[in-house]
Amino acid sequence: MKKRLTAFLLVICMFAAVFTACGSNQEENTAATGSSSAASADSQKAKGNEEGDNVLKTAASFAYPSLDVHKEYYGWYTSIYGLSEALFKFDESATAVDCLAEDAEADGTKWTITLKDGVTFSNGDPLTADVVIQNIQRLAEVNERFSYLGDFTWTAEDDLTITVDTGADVYPMLKNDLASPEAGMIDLDATKDFDKDPVCTGPFVITEFNPEGDVTVARNENYWGGDVKLDGAVFYYMQEDDPKLLAMQSGEIDCYNSVSSGALEVYEKEPDKYHVESVAGTRLQYYILNENRLDDSVRAAINLTVDKEAIAEYLKGTVSAATSPYPASTAYSNITIPAVDAEQAKKLLEDDGYTLGQDGIYEKDGNKLKLNICYYAARSLDTLAVLIQEQLKAIGIDSYLTVEEDPDSTYIATADFDLALYCMISDKCGDPQYFIDSTLADGAYYNVGGFKNDECQAMIEQLRVEVDPDKRAELANQIIQIAVDDNAFGYVGLFNHTTVMKPGVSGFAEKIPFDFYGVDANTVK
Amino acid sequence: MKKQIIKRIIELIIILIVLSFLTFLLMYLAPGDPAEKRLSSQGVAVTKEVLQAEQERMGLLRPFFVRYGEWFTGILRGDFGVSFKDDMPVSPKLVSGLKNTSILALASLILSLLVSVPLGILSAVKQNSILDHIVRILSFIGNALPNFLISVLLMYFFCIRLNLFPVVATGSVQGLCLPALSLAIPMAGRFTRQIRTETMEQLRQDYVTGLRVRGVREKDILIHNVFRNASGHIFTIVALQIGILMGGSVVIETIFRWPGIGKLVMDSINARDYPTIMGFVLIMGTIYVIINFLSDVLYHVLDPRV
Repeated sequence: MKKRLTAFLLVICMFAAVFTACGSNQEENTAATGSSSAASADSQKAKGNEEGDNVLKTAASFAYPSLDVHKEYYGWYTSIYGLSEALFKFDESATAVDCLAEDAEADGTKWTITLKDGVTFSNGDPLTADVVIQNIQRLAEVNERFSYLGDFTWTAEDDLTITVDTGADVYPMLKNDLASPEAGMIDLDATKDFDKDPVCTGPFVITEFNPEGDVTVARNENYWGGDVKLDGAVFYYMQEDDPKLLAMQSGEIDCYNSVSSGALEVYEKEPDKYHVESVAGTRLQYYILNENRLDDSVRAAINLTVDKEAIAEYLKGTVSAATSPYPASTAYSNITIPAVDAEQAKKLLEDDGYTLGQDGIYEKDGNKLKLNICYYAARSLDTLAVLIQEQLKAIGIDSYLTVEEDPDSTYIATADFDLALYCMISDKCGDPQYFIDSTLADGAYYNVGGFKNDECQAMIEQLRVEVDPDKRAELANQIIQIAVDDNAFGYVGLFNHTTVMKPGVSGFAEKIPFDFYGVDANTVK
Repeated sequence: MKKQIIKRIIELIIILIVLSFLTFLLMYLAPGDPAEKRLSSQGVAVTKEVLQAEQERMGLLRPFFVRYGEWFTGILRGDFGVSFKDDMPVSPKLVSGLKNTSILALASLILSLLVSVPLGILSAVKQNSILDHIVRILSFIGNALPNFLISVLLMYFFCIRLNLFPVVATGSVQGLCLPALSLAIPMAGRFTRQIRTETMEQLRQDYVTGLRVRGVREKDILIHNVFRNASGHIFTIVALQIGILMGGSVVIETIFRWPGIGKLVMDSINARDYPTIMGFVLIMGTIYVIINFLSDVLYHVLDPRV
């Protein structure tokens, strides 16, 4: 028996030794701290570590392995951490306003961008037109989503003026695209390690970066925009809702966003302890109605039946009922939709020859009206599918649910659905064109329900070259209205950008509908 | 012995080749495009042109056998490739995840054995007593509670009510306590019941009656005979549990921010990060085979009759 015991313990010991030994090198990799910034930044970091009282502690639902602003979506997080800034930024109404640049003006295919005077990186180096152009060129090289920027001709007219020639086609979205966090500016010459320690212009500098883990930043003492109110901030990587709630209750964190409905109920019961801000964001839940399979009357009946307010209420404050795909604060969200009217929905079906069967389900030509509702189990779409199924059944439309793990390679690719649920960002840069191009234009990747309208397509072509923001908004309103009137889609809800803060905390991008802002120079605790 | 070792090494190689091929094939056939997942990871839609360019860059448009062959030759050179999720090397990710998971696994295993061995034996000895009933009920409850519930309850009790641990724990010893306890509770429930059953089985044997008749003290019978004879079975269930634990626990790792292999693999599956998944399967397969192999070899060395 002793021999068996010894054998067993030996196996355990070997097993432990192998992994402990393997892990020793990794320790150095994962707990890497940036080390390549200028001396001034190093001293700031040391100071940041010593100070603790005025350091904001928060939870981040995502964490990435790199701080390279231009790659992937890492720029969203360097922006949230207050490290990087783009030439423009979005305000509460999703309008691109000045940040590192004063303005950008278009004249046909030529844009003129004027930089602000006195903008410097955290090491004191100035931001010049040449540096901006080098940054844009790198962004186009390393990020496929921005590769088109490399097709434009960028010229530095002087230190603060850049002209951009967009070639044969007018490109009206340039200013908005340059407000994307991926277009944040890096001191390319001074940065030694783009993944762990980029030198940027933001109000904070990196103190400690754990890839796919916690991030600590300290005040940028050389911040070009003036005083930075916080000494620093810590972003704890916490994916789960319950630990965030408990950390908030225990006082270990001061604020966080993307608050769940369960946690929201807790916070709202104690308004003296927690301050909650909620604005409709840009993440849209919607459905596509298959025009190749569903009669006009059925599509109209569905849109008259689906009660978005009831769905939003059921989802307990995590979404706002949508009338258009865009947040109501934008100029391009003026859409008129018919009110929920079950009787009118039934009448439409009956006028089209549908009769109510004994089982309470409509039928036509001996065929029961039964829809295939496709969805994937993310972003509450599973709940939405069940609620829509119930609401439709109440007026006599039967349905069955088909869940797919990956919608893009299944029902979006094959168009094998009657009603398809989907969730995407509807507004990524304060402009309506991206969503319209993605879902309504002829041949668009997500225009899979057979929607086709010549008038609409002509307006989309016009939108692609229209520079004036007001006219763009008007065009977008007309385009979306056509799709809504055609009952091609149903825009159900926009996820709320909900932030909970301890009393005294503010300036944590709590009123901005985008997900990519966090701490800035005015954040206080 | 030498023959046995060579035979097992050949077996290991064949197992790993078949395993890697099947996993690669399943990944290839599974719906979902890593390029699309990567480009739209934040919910932003992509155009067909951008998607195709990314697929080309990631080498996804090449034939299946070319991709598998390239991956396999890389493995022979010790190169697990780069992650489809973020272009970072796969090897450091796997090593770090396995290291953290093995620490958590060992801690929880020790905790559960510390509880279940005495309770299981005591419960068997005091069969049908109040103590036995309490232990059985507790082991039922421990076994039935889902991991996420245990984790949140422990967190609430120890972090909020007693204020003994921070909610936002780090990878320190303090940060290890609650996740290890969360894993240990259901495991201890299972072990206690199995140890109780095995001990009762031994207590019913004739040799125990014989020892009692000869006047051997009950304590000595339990320690030197009953427990010793039951140990074989206990080792078997513990060894099986090690394999399960090494697969990681996504729920516990996520709730307690423990950067183990379970969470890494789940994130990789969601992102269709084939190189990381393949690396994980290969390493886990190797670990299983090597542990079995080493056990067999050691048993043979220590007891040539086995």
